[in-house]
Amino acid sequence: MSEAGEAVGPVAAEAAAAARRPRRRAPGRSVFWLLPVLALPVPLLLNPYVQFVVNLILVYVLVGVGFNIVIGNLGQLAFANVAFFGLGAYASGILTVHAGWPWWTTVLPAGIVGALAGVLASLPALRRIRLFYLAILTMAFGELMRWIYIRAEPLTHGSMGLAVPPPVLLGVRLGTDRQKFYVFLALAVVVVVLTASLLRSRFGRAFMAIRDNEIAAAAMGIPTGRYFVLAFAWGGFVVGIGGAMYTALIGHVTPEAFNLLELILHFAIVMVGGLASLAGSVIGAIVLTTTPELFRDFPGFQELVLATLIILVLLFLPRGLVSLLAAWWPVFGERYYRE
Amino acid sequence: MALLEVESLTVRYGGLTAVSEVSFRVERGEVRAVIGPNGAGKTSLFNAITGHAPLAGGTIRFAGQRLDGLLPHEVSARGVRRTFQNGGLFGDLTALENVLAGLHTQVASGLLGVLFGLPGARAAERAATARARELLDQMGIGALADRPAGALSGGQQRMVEIVRALATRPPLLLLDEPAVGLAPAVREELLALLRRVVREEGIAVVLIEHAIEFVMSISDTILVLNEGRAIAEGTPAELPRNREVLEAYLGR
Repeated sequence: MSEAGEAVGPVAAEAAAAARRPRRRAPGRSVFWLLPVLALPVPLLLNPYVQFVVNLILVYVLVGVGFNIVIGNLGQLAFANVAFFGLGAYASGILTVHAGWPWWTTVLPAGIVGALAGVLASLPALRRIRLFYLAILTMAFGELMRWIYIRAEPLTHGSMGLAVPPPVLLGVRLGTDRQKFYVFLALAVVVVVLTASLLRSRFGRAFMAIRDNEIAAAAMGIPTGRYFVLAFAWGGFVVGIGGAMYTALIGHVTPEAFNLLELILHFAIVMVGGLASLAGSVIGAIVLTTTPELFRDFPGFQELVLATLIILVLLFLPRGLVSLLAAWWPVFGERYYRE
Repeated sequence: MALLEVESLTVRYGGLTAVSEVSFRVERGEVRAVIGPNGAGKTSLFNAITGHAPLAGGTIRFAGQRLDGLLPHEVSARGVRRTFQNGGLFGDLTALENVLAGLHTQVASGLLGVLFGLPGARAAERAATARARELLDQMGIGALADRPAGALSGGQQRMVEIVRALATRPPLLLLDEPAVGLAPAVREELLALLRRVVREEGIAVVLIEHAIEFVMSISDTILVLNEGRAIAEGTPAELPRNREVLEAYLGR
C-alpha cells in the first residue's frame, strides 16, 4: 500500500493506465425511439401488402423479445415458446368467439395465459432439469398443446381452426391492416419498454447471473428458483400478447401455425438477431419476417434462404446481427444498469 | 459468542466422507486460514457453510443463528459471502455488472417499481450503479468497470470477484484459494487489499490457501485439515513446530 492508501501493484497500475486512455462517449439510448417514429409513416405508402408485413413484424418482435428472455438472458434451453404463442392466440380467439369479448379486452388475458404457461414450463427447470433434457421436455410441451388444440374441438374448432371476427378496440372495428398497425405499434412499444426496464434492473442482472454461474448467483443472495419463474413468466406474458396480436392480424387460428417449424422460426429470430439483446430481438424479427416474404413467390426457395441465412449468421456472427451493429454503434451493446 | 461457530461438522458425498467432525470458531475481524493437502475437505467445508453442500452432522451458527439447512441465497443474505476456486465471475457481464450483482440484495428496487419506472426504483438503481463504480474505484480497478469479466486477466478477475464478494460489506468473507495462479506482485496487491478490508471494515475472513507465505503473513489463526479431519489449530508462530502438521504436509 502506498502512503496515501491507494492500491498499488500491477492490477491497479494497468487499470489506471486504462483510465488515462480517452474513452468514447456512448450515445444515448433514446436513439432507439427513432425506430417506432420512423415506422409511423408506413401507412402513407398505401401498400396493403407492406402494411401487412410490418404488422407481422410487430407480432414477431414480441415473439422474439419474450423468447430471448428465456433462452438469451436466463440462458435456459427451454423451447416452449410456440406453446406460449399458441395459447395466447387461442385464448384471445376463444374469448372473442365463445364469450363475445371485444378483442382489445382479450389482450391482457392472453398475456396472463402465456405467463401461466411460462410458470408451468419453468417447473422442470426448477427441478434442475437442464440442457438437452429441458429442451426436449419443453418442445414436447409445445407439441402437447398442439394436440390439445386439435382435440378440444368445442373450444378451438380443431384442425379447421378458429375463425375470429375483425378485432375491436373500444367500439372501433379494426378492419384494415392500417388500423391494426397503430394499435400493434403502441402495444409493441409498451411491452418492449416494460421489458427494457425489467432487464435494466437488478432482476435482469439476476437472470444473467443465473445464466453465467447459477451457484455463484445464489452465493450473491439471488433466489434462483424465484427468478427462474419470473423470467419464464415474463417471457410467456410477452409472447402471449404477441399471440393475441397474431389472432387479430390473421383472423384465423389453426393448430398447424404452432408446430415445430414455427419454433425454429422463433429460434432463428433470436439467434440471428442476437441472444440476450433487446435490439437483437427486434432486428431478428425484422430480418426473419421480411426475408421469407421477399421469396414468397418461390416456395421451397423460402426454406433454403431461411436456412442459409441462419447458417451464415451463426458461422460469421455467432453473437447475432446486433454484434455487427454494436461494433460501429456502441449503443447497440446491451448494458444492464441505470446510470 | 463468536461470529461463526462450527461444531462437529460432517459432510458426506455418497460413501465418501469429505469432512469429519470439524469444529472451529471465528471471531469478528479475525483472519482464519484453512490449510491442508488436496482433498483434505477444505472446499467441502466452505460449501457446507454456504449451503451448497448438505450436512451429515454437526451445526453451524452465524451471529447466533443456525446456518445449516438454509439455502445458499439465504445464507448469503445473512451476511456470508464467498469467492470460488475457479471462475466464480459472471463471464458475460462486465466487471461493473458483476459487482452490481453482488449488491443485489441491497438494491431497493421492487418489481413493480422497476416495470413502471417509478422514481424510487430508478433512484435506487442509479445509486446502486454509483456505489458499484465507487467500490471498484476504491480497489483501484475502476477503469475495468465496463470490460466483460471474461476478457479480464486472471489477477483482474480475482480482484473483481473479491470486490463483488465484499460489495455488501458482509461480516464474514470466505475466500477459496484467492492467491492461486497469481504473480508475486499481484499477490502483494491482494494481501494489501485484504489487510485494509479487515482493518478498516472489521470483516472476518476465512481463507483456503496453499501459498504458505501468503497464509503466514495475513492470518491470525490457522486450521489444518487432513483427510477431512482437523488435525491442528494455532497461530502462524506455533504451527510450523507442530509434528502432525509436518507429517501431513511432508509425509514424514
